[in-house]
Amino acid sequence: MIEASLHRIHLPRGTVVSVRVGAEIRPDEVIGLRRGALAPVRVPVTRALHRQPGEIEQLLVVRPGERVEAEQPLAVVEGAGVVLAPVAGLVLAASGRDGTLLLAPLGSEETVIGHVRGRVRAVEEGSLVVEVPAARLHGVGGSGEAVHGELVVGVPNPGDELRAAAIDAGATGKILVGGSRASAETLTRARAMGVAGIVLGGVLDKELRDFEAIQRRRREAGGMTGSFGILLVEGFGKVGIDPQLFAWFRTHAGRVASLFGADGLLYVYDAAPVPMRRALAAVGDRVIAHRRPFQGRGGVLVALLEELHSAQSGIPTRMALVRFEDGRLAPVPLANVEATVLPEGR
Amino acid sequence: MTIDARAREPGRATAELSLLVDIGSAWTKAAVVGRAMGRWRIAAHAAQPSAWDEGELIATLAARLTGRADARVSGRIATLLADAPRIAVHTPARPGRIALAAVSSELSGQAARSAAEAAGWVVVEAVMVDDGRAVVDRLSALQSAEVDAWLIAGGFDEEGGEGALEVAGLVAAARGGGRSPVVWAGSAGLTERVGAFFEPGVLRAVANPRPSADRENLLPLRRYLDGLIERLVERGTARQLAPIGFGRAVAELARAARLRVVGVDLGARYATWASADENGMAESRVVALGGLASPTLTAPGGPARIAHSLPLAIDELAVADALQNLRARPGSIPQTDEELAVVHGAARDLLGDLATSGPQPGGIDLLIGSGRTIAGAPLPAQAMQMLLDGIRPIGIVQVAIDPAGALGPLGALRDDEIVEGLGTLRDDLLTPLGAAVVCRGGRPGHFSMRVTVHRVGWRSLGPIEVRPGQLEVVPLPRGQVAELEIEVDPAVSLGAPRRTRRLRASVTGGAVGVVLDARDAPLILPRRSDDRRAVLGGWRDTFVREVRPPTEGVA
Repeated sequence: MIEASLHRIHLPRGTVVSVRVGAEIRPDEVIGLRRGALAPVRVPVTRALHRQPGEIEQLLVVRPGERVEAEQPLAVVEGAGVVLAPVAGLVLAASGRDGTLLLAPLGSEETVIGHVRGRVRAVEEGSLVVEVPAARLHGVGGSGEAVHGELVVGVPNPGDELRAAAIDAGATGKILVGGSRASAETLTRARAMGVAGIVLGGVLDKELRDFEAIQRRRREAGGMTGSFGILLVEGFGKVGIDPQLFAWFRTHAGRVASLFGADGLLYVYDAAPVPMRRALAAVGDRVIAHRRPFQGRGGVLVALLEELHSAQSGIPTRMALVRFEDGRLAPVPLANVEATVLPEGR
Repeated sequence: MTIDARAREPGRATAELSLLVDIGSAWTKAAVVGRAMGRWRIAAHAAQPSAWDEGELIATLAARLTGRADARVSGRIATLLADAPRIAVHTPARPGRIALAAVSSELSGQAARSAAEAAGWVVVEAVMVDDGRAVVDRLSALQSAEVDAWLIAGGFDEEGGEGALEVAGLVAAARGGGRSPVVWAGSAGLTERVGAFFEPGVLRAVANPRPSADRENLLPLRRYLDGLIERLVERGTARQLAPIGFGRAVAELARAARLRVVGVDLGARYATWASADENGMAESRVVALGGLASPTLTAPGGPARIAHSLPLAIDELAVADALQNLRARPGSIPQTDEELAVVHGAARDLLGDLATSGPQPGGIDLLIGSGRTIAGAPLPAQAMQMLLDGIRPIGIVQVAIDPAGALGPLGALRDDEIVEGLGTLRDDLLTPLGAAVVCRGGRPGHFSMRVTVHRVGWRSLGPIEVRPGQLEVVPLPRGQVAELEIEVDPAVSLGAPRRTRRLRASVTGGAVGVVLDARDAPLILPRRSDDRRAVLGGWRDTFVREVRPPTEGVA
């Protein structure tokens, strides 16, 4: 049985929330409307009222920061005239140099989507709190926007690299579970093919940066559509997804999921609980190592060494003896392994 | 000092114990303070990932006391520890988030950002009139920012400035009402006009951190933002915050010893710089994202900078991944030599940023390193190297570490108790690494300094000539005092203005000894990678040549 968790959706300022507390929302449901600001225009004020530019502040009936509607008076001189707002917008500044008012017109209404399924618990200043009944997975990092889509497993094994050639039109709108790595080329292709998001065991920091730089340039050039998110579950470098977790993903292929790249978070709906991680492993636990040279490898903790022992780096620490899945037996700092526990405790 | 006041069972031996606990974002450090032979001592200390449970920490401490505790209580030591009163501090649960709008990136923006970061705020969005963005993009960025407060800066006090009014208007438009406070730290002459942009009671005016082109005055803004973060983010628990406790302890150490003390605490998320003069007048800078998970390390250029500073040939891509893993899993420890080198390189880099991000103290008598990376380094010499390479404390300075992480918890005591606590534990609190003579400048072909070390009861060493770019380590055990006779080259500075080329100084030894450091400040490295690595490797080898293994390590 999945325990619902509270998720806070950050709302850009100026969003008018269109759902009520207690309402059930879907991932693609509009939860608010917002009118973003457009490139500001200068509204002549003092010239229209036959006054000196330096007098502008005495003439204004609005102040910077205020939102005005079209035709709303901006400045008035009793008996001499009035200056009206040409469009609805946000007043940004008044210039004493040229006697103009800087007004940022408001664009057309845009919808704000929450990307989660659940019940609205609270509407707060700048955020919406939603109770999400889904399996929740916290990654160690991520990138990109909030997305949702159907979960699809894109590689046969957790240690495999997700190749660009493996991404086709069938992945459009889906959240793809990759393996140990994806190149910048693969990520770029995935985005171009309309993939909603990618879940990876690891990624090279350089590849992720290259991808983000490409996206930034495309955004600046204009024409980029759709959102894309990346979730990293194990670490940086070429790191396979823990086989237990990978098996869980396989089991839940086809379920709807919400991915929050920047927060490193994934919700999978109608799913069994995610295999858990426990920071302090004990003898007999199945563990996963997080640091080189064993990063991402799974095994069984067979013994805890007495007293402190030096790691290869020379740091004296508590050491665990781990039998890795490839048969190798190695001492690993206990702080560098986590126990992986199936929800039933296995 | 807190004393165990539990009711004692008649005829059953008990122990007077206290725990000093520092719960960091990644590691928890704990020290057992117990009474031995009538004196309070730090009897054991341990550190473990904060994600582990408290029972494990108690068990580790109990194991460390086995064989050292009185036989009558040794069987119950874990229970006694679990029940012992504790003085605890913790890293703030989350940093305060602030949006900054300023006129100039280099003047008002830089000053306001420095003040905010030194007070522990994270600047989540910064817009400047000269940032090259369109007004609509600045507005959109501010509207999207999730913040606890807003900071506006710009305009010199004498001149006012329309640019400052524009950024204030931008904030007013982006903020769109609500409860978040706005701090105006710009031209004093504009305060009333800026105030009119916001609802009554929202704006608070603070002295301009850049009142004129040639003057910076960060302190009033920093002090105000210090208070604001306490009110908005960590209500009512300021003394229990590790950075605050650390600063208070450093101030009291300085006052009690009549020394100029600088303490640096480098954690996973936070970095704290606390400096205090002989009178205990203290200044702290708390950088919320200044620790080893700092985004500055992984930002473009960061991995290359760290790779450049390593004595090992580790490519930039591997350094980048190692730094990201350090950020992603701060509770794990470097397992390989390469990972340790990257972590120490990152620590040196962060210490350098911390040292240069604020006013430099006139001189340092005692430099203290805290945090697991420094105080838990495998070798004392590595801790010494991180501190000297990162901070470059010009002059003659004693160097020590806080191995038990006890300074923060002791700083959480009430004012009158800090004095008692530090005084009681003075012999155990710090582990002296030794002393360093660090000079700036030098001329090729000439010695930078010529030092003779006079040790009581031993023959004198030297004169030792140290040339520009060179480093010498002279063994001087803990507790041993030596008189240094120093002759410096005319082109060399030891910080303070001097009238003579010769000076004498008394220093005390430690786990490393006396470091004679003529490597200039900042460090100058060859451009060719092979040459650079050879130089860095030479310095590293000089530091670690005379070392002793530490007595206690991490969990």
